Amino acid sequence: MRRRFAGILGLSILIASASALGAPPGLKPFERGTWQGVLKGHAGRPTLVHFWGVTCGPCKVELPLLGRFAKEHPEIDVVTISADLVPNLPAATQSMLDKAGLSSTENFIFNDGFVERLRFEIDPAWQGDIPRTMLISRDGIISTIEGSAEISDLEKWSAQQLAKH
Amino acid sequence: MIRAFEGSRAVIRTGLLGIVALAFLQGAALGQMRAQHASEAACEEPTLRCATKATPAFGPDGTLWLVWMAGGQVSVASSQDAGRSFSAPTQVTTRRLNLDWGPDARPKIVVDRKGGIAVAFSIFRDEAFNGQVLYTRSADGGKSFAELKPITASNESQRFEALALDQDGTVFAAWLDKRNRVPAKEAGRKYEGAALFFASSRDGGATYAEAALARDGTCECCRLALTFAAPGRPAVIFRNIFEGGVRDHAVMTFADLSTPGEIHRVSNDDWRINACPHHGPSLTIAPNATYHVAWYTNGKARKGLFYAHSRDEGRTFSAPMALGRPDRNPTRPFVLAGPAGTVMVWKEFDGEKTSVQMTISHDDGETWSPPKAISSTTDTSDHPLLVSNGQHVYLSWMTKADGYRLTAIEGQP
Repeated sequence: MRRRFAGILGLSILIASASALGAPPGLKPFERGTWQGVLKGHAGRPTLVHFWGVTCGPCKVELPLLGRFAKEHPEIDVVTISADLVPNLPAATQSMLDKAGLSSTENFIFNDGFVERLRFEIDPAWQGDIPRTMLISRDGIISTIEGSAEISDLEKWSAQQLAKH
Repeated sequence: MIRAFEGSRAVIRTGLLGIVALAFLQGAALGQMRAQHASEAACEEPTLRCATKATPAFGPDGTLWLVWMAGGQVSVASSQDAGRSFSAPTQVTTRRLNLDWGPDARPKIVVDRKGGIAVAFSIFRDEAFNGQVLYTRSADGGKSFAELKPITASNESQRFEALALDQDGTVFAAWLDKRNRVPAKEAGRKYEGAALFFASSRDGGATYAEAALARDGTCECCRLALTFAAPGRPAVIFRNIFEGGVRDHAVMTFADLSTPGEIHRVSNDDWRINACPHHGPSLTIAPNATYHVAWYTNGKARKGLFYAHSRDEGRTFSAPMALGRPDRNPTRPFVLAGPAGTVMVWKEFDGEKTSVQMTISHDDGETWSPPKAISSTTDTSDHPLLVSNGQHVYLSWMTKADGYRLTAIEGQP
């Protein structure tokens, strides 16, 4: 009972702290160095990293398709990164992720006003166009899809990853 | 995904200590999200120091006018000493608005011969990020601005407005507009991107004529560049969607203020992409009618920043000339035909700092000087813009770390 009370109290603190800051708890800040952390954290596992943004029309169409893909491919780590220029919309970002069925993936939001530097760390040639998807194989080979990804291409890549294993 | 599930199980098991620790950690992380470094702006007040986007225009008397967005407001001020000091700002907005903060959005300003100031900018008017173009005018030298009005009665999304001033004081506005998506969808037709719409104002930007369509099927998320090719003949460059979803650039010269012209492709870059490049082009037309254009592409045929010119009123263009160092991510090109040559600037990033590179042509775009860094900053910055007072060309650049800068381009008489 005491333990349960402690749990409820703790949960209340968590909810209160998250809501007081006005951001949903699932969204992690993407800052200088985060990219290396993502690569390390998923090393050895096939990983799909999806860059998108709440104001990007093609992203709105693609996100639910990606949500379905993530659900159907638990063997692939799916990471989303909201790369809109001004990172002041965590609530809108989370809401779109939730609607797309991506609440439980690892979700980041750009959190450095110096976006040139953030993008440079990820890919020096990337100028900020979204959507953009990076497919990282078990051996760390990155293939980049610029613009909306064809789900059939993701299926093919995913099958290749499983076949290799 | 699997790890995320494992993570939530761990939270359930650890009880109070874990949850409090997590709350603390998350609080710290989210607190950081609100920290200043996370913002594009140096501060959150409506002052120029806090601006993320600042757009200049010289008045007929040589006064520099600046419109900027900061702290959710749009303000205007003037400078009599080439940007060293500014008048007390006048707020164009009366309350904090959800201004369009897209990378290619910025407030626009033109100052006519009588000193009338026309301003336009976009806001996000709903939670789905549908845009709306608002405009206003000052008839008293920037002391006050009229109540903001939408440039069109349409309730469909509009963004990326551009303003240009004709010789007779007519203000011409063009923007990207999504109103034709709905009827197309209802009719079962495929509709890609947005449409280029326009309207002109015969009273210096106090009221605009009804909006009209110039072209359907444009890219929806890149800035336009707009100027006059001749009196009564606006010219606009935009990222078009060509056959097969190829987002390459097109130029259109109007026959007159209400008659759109044919579109002409600037370059066959073959950028087939269904995405928002957030990276629009630049256009200037020299007094001898040469069109100079600069743009970004990531096409199959070429990637990076490019320049070309046209000596037949924008019908055909020279072979694209690459700009900048490919290993330094050149971005945001701007070209301006000035009194002493045609000047181009763009940004480069070396991993730590952003520099503005400049090149100048004294032979109408045939040859260009070696690029030279003319300014740099170590934090985020607005696009570099060029502005002319008829005698000199200046770089206008808003930076987070160093504030607003107006820098005379050297090598001019």
